[in-house]
Amino acid sequence: MGKIEAKNIIKYFQHDGKPLKAIGGVNLTVDDGEFVCIVGPSGCGKSTFLRILAGLEKPDDGEVLLDGKKLVNTGPDRIMVFQEGALFPWLTVEDNVEYGLKVAGIPENERHDISKRYLDMMQLSQFANSYTYQLSTGMKQRVAIARALVMDPDVLLMDEPFAALDSQTRDLLLVEMQMIWQKTKKTIIFVTHNVPEAAVLGSRVAVFSHRPSVVKKSLDIDYKRPRVAEDENLGKFEKQILAALRHQGPK
Amino acid sequence: MKANLLGKKIAFYVLIIIVWQVIDSAEIWPDNIFPSPIEVGEDLLYGISDGSLFYGIGTSMWRLVIGLSIAIGGGMLLGIFMARVETVNQTIGSLVLGLQSIPSVAWVPLAILWFGLSDSGIIFVTAIGAIFAVTINTYTGVKNIDPSFIEAARNMGAKGGQLITTILIPAAFPYMISGFKQGWAFAWRGVIGAELLFSFLGLGFLLNVGRQLNDVSQVIAMMLVIMGIGILIDGFVFKKLEDKVMTKWGLR
Repeated sequence: MGKIEAKNIIKYFQHDGKPLKAIGGVNLTVDDGEFVCIVGPSGCGKSTFLRILAGLEKPDDGEVLLDGKKLVNTGPDRIMVFQEGALFPWLTVEDNVEYGLKVAGIPENERHDISKRYLDMMQLSQFANSYTYQLSTGMKQRVAIARALVMDPDVLLMDEPFAALDSQTRDLLLVEMQMIWQKTKKTIIFVTHNVPEAAVLGSRVAVFSHRPSVVKKSLDIDYKRPRVAEDENLGKFEKQILAALRHQGPK
Repeated sequence: MKANLLGKKIAFYVLIIIVWQVIDSAEIWPDNIFPSPIEVGEDLLYGISDGSLFYGIGTSMWRLVIGLSIAIGGGMLLGIFMARVETVNQTIGSLVLGLQSIPSVAWVPLAILWFGLSDSGIIFVTAIGAIFAVTINTYTGVKNIDPSFIEAARNMGAKGGQLITTILIPAAFPYMISGFKQGWAFAWRGVIGAELLFSFLGLGFLLNVGRQLNDVSQVIAMMLVIMGIGILIDGFVFKKLEDKVMTKWGLR
């Protein structure tokens, strides 16, 4: 039994008023402490799949199990990091990070202790009292990651969180993300369309097919960490991912 | 405000008063139709010295604050409800648009019949004149919230009332401010209009007394006071609030 298990997930989109099968029966089991990257052609429903895992969307068929228990709704056991961060502009960085703790009714001094730890980890301490519009895109994503980590979720779900970053900031965050994973031992599912990013981050990469999507191939990336994007030894893994992606063009 | 801009404004108003005085000195119209600025000023000073002006302002402001508070509270609730429940929007939503088109003084006869010649009647007119502007702006604000804010909050465990107070209201607040601003303008018109017709204390009442006594300078003096309060509240209360919110939300 995995930490989180998706069983035969099927999802239709509405396209010009007609239902279009986007996810065609995805099965994915992720073990405790695994870092799984999902890659796939655009429009294959990988982000939607992640949203289904988060409970933000309902599958038309299939089910999601966490520790063997069927999930119905969204909840803080699976925290999502959104592509644009979804930070609340009316709150300071610190209040953003503490939001979920406050909702959970954790007392103020305890909240501060927890948020301080993660603000330090993400190197955000000096921005604790800034508002989000004062931050760069990279800083915002750090806040979004800190906000997710304070919830101590069973599974961390990340939806292309680095897609909008410049390559320098991205490279930095790719290394940091690996260190966070090693430090916190979280189970992470990370959706990306960027193949080198998947090779750097994933302990496993699940390649989705064109829609209606299924898991076409699951590749273990057995390589020392921390990895950096320019490491040529990652090339062979990238080639395998690309080959799996290319195998099937649009039908 | 820049000194230059302030200077322009002062010069403009001084010019108006000079032109006014010149026209008055030409004696085209008799003084009981066209008073001089000095007579209007004397009337204002008289109102200040015997306290009647402050009592009038106080009464009108008190009614305004109560009426506007009811409008803001009720309008926000209704607007949020309309934005979040489609059936409410499809039913009550169309009614709100219709009610919004009724000028607040048109509620006066109903208010007199329901509440009699009382404060409650005037407050009713004030509140109902303002509530729909708040409702519509709140509705627009909540509808325009980035859906990922709501999803992120639900994902972190927020539900029901928590979602409303911690996400919907703050996220829609920049729109709501516009609603409050419009609501205040409608409420101010409503309170003065109602006082005129109810003839029951307040600035509108003093305005009406001026007419009944054929005292043109009192009429003009009261109109100036009503305008002055409007400028003050608009420029200080709402402008400040708006600036603060816009800056904090990163909208400018």
